[in-house]
Amino acid sequence: MTARRIVVVGNGIAGLTACDSLRAAGFDGELTVVGAERHSPYSRPALSKALLHGGDGLAAHELPAPTHGADEWLGVSATRLDAGARRVMLDGGGSLPYDGLVIASGSRARRLGGSAEAGYDGELTLRTLEDAVRLKELVAGRPSVMVVGGGPLGMEVASGCLHSGCDVTLVTDGEPLVRQLGSHLSGIFTAAARTSGLRIVNGSKARLIRSGTTPQVALADGTVLEADLLVSAVGDEPNVEWLEGSGLLTDGVLRVDSRGRVRPDIVAAGDVAFFPTQRGLSRVPLWTSAIDQAKAAAVGLLLGDEAPPLEFQPYFWTEAFGLSLKSVGFTPVEGTPHFLEQGAGAASALLRWEHADGSGTAAAINYRIPIPKLRRLANTGSQVARAAEPVTA
Amino acid sequence: MRIELDRPRCEGHGLCEEAAPALMHLDDDGELVIDVPEVDGDQAVAAAKAAVRVCPVAALRLVTV
Repeated sequence: MTARRIVVVGNGIAGLTACDSLRAAGFDGELTVVGAERHSPYSRPALSKALLHGGDGLAAHELPAPTHGADEWLGVSATRLDAGARRVMLDGGGSLPYDGLVIASGSRARRLGGSAEAGYDGELTLRTLEDAVRLKELVAGRPSVMVVGGGPLGMEVASGCLHSGCDVTLVTDGEPLVRQLGSHLSGIFTAAARTSGLRIVNGSKARLIRSGTTPQVALADGTVLEADLLVSAVGDEPNVEWLEGSGLLTDGVLRVDSRGRVRPDIVAAGDVAFFPTQRGLSRVPLWTSAIDQAKAAAVGLLLGDEAPPLEFQPYFWTEAFGLSLKSVGFTPVEGTPHFLEQGAGAASALLRWEHADGSGTAAAINYRIPIPKLRRLANTGSQVARAAEPVTA
Repeated sequence: MRIELDRPRCEGHGLCEEAAPALMHLDDDGELVIDVPEVDGDQAVAAAKAAVRVCPVAALRLVTV
């Protein structure tokens, strides 16, 4: 495609990487990036990790200033797409024409109690920098905190609140992290969480029954819980509403091919997109996933079929309750791992699971290891693990 | 251009090494080593930029010297 004018909708890490990658691939035409947030891109993973846990100011999320030379429109949302006329409509009434479009509009926090538009109703979420700053301020007053959601974000938030001296209850449907990581890693994190003083309430169908001050949550078994502060971490919803009527959505979702393409002149990347993986068409809302997708999509937009397809291998990390986990490969992982190496500390270990299709997942817990090495372990670990004995759970 | 590392910020993810293996690597202790701090030429600068960009804690900067 010989695009002279490319518009990128979304200015998170996917939008930023797409801009950088377009330039790196030689695109020297007009580049405009439109972002709903009022900030240049920042590190979202840091919000619930270093930013929430740290005591030293609010800088952990800051990234270097963009160098792609795109026209950055901050605090501006796309409201509609006319894919026939190749034009993006913006809030405030303006519109942007394009030859090539990158959709990187991301996702937003799912909420227990409907829309956040009406203002603060007692339910906090953690998705944006504003969310993080607000949570950090509130937590400093040491309220009692109820975190709903036992995924990585819920665990990180619970850990940060405990670290700040709050009394914290985690409401989780199933053991924490089981759905994301599997039972073995869940067990390790759950034990550390309990040791740190986290109260864990296992129950399904959490719903907000009282908002405002001292919010209350009811569970399926009738249990009612309340706290000074409620933080929900119950997943995310892709921002695709502005694409309704564009003809781009299939059953309400945005699907791309292995080169990030929705159609030849439109690509998508990041939390918004379902893309082909070894485990089928998936949405993988993680930092490295967004970067990998955006690189592939940028080249896919410029070169079409000649672009290399994305060969996606997940990389993911989480930090909570004194544990740092880095994981390469698909999760959750079933069963007990092959033990690769015990690290220096008591909790320090390098683990690997082998899947039925011959691929592997490697995890490092409190163990510093370069990611390229962790990837090699995931891919070829069987040789490394040959002499190792399976550990008992 | 020069690659600068803010060592206290580095968490050892090593995503930078994946982006620019010719310029930097994590040693056996997981500490980042900048093998080629001074970069010039389009290819090296592009790799350095990619390494800076991929760091989730912004421990790397590329500065003009």
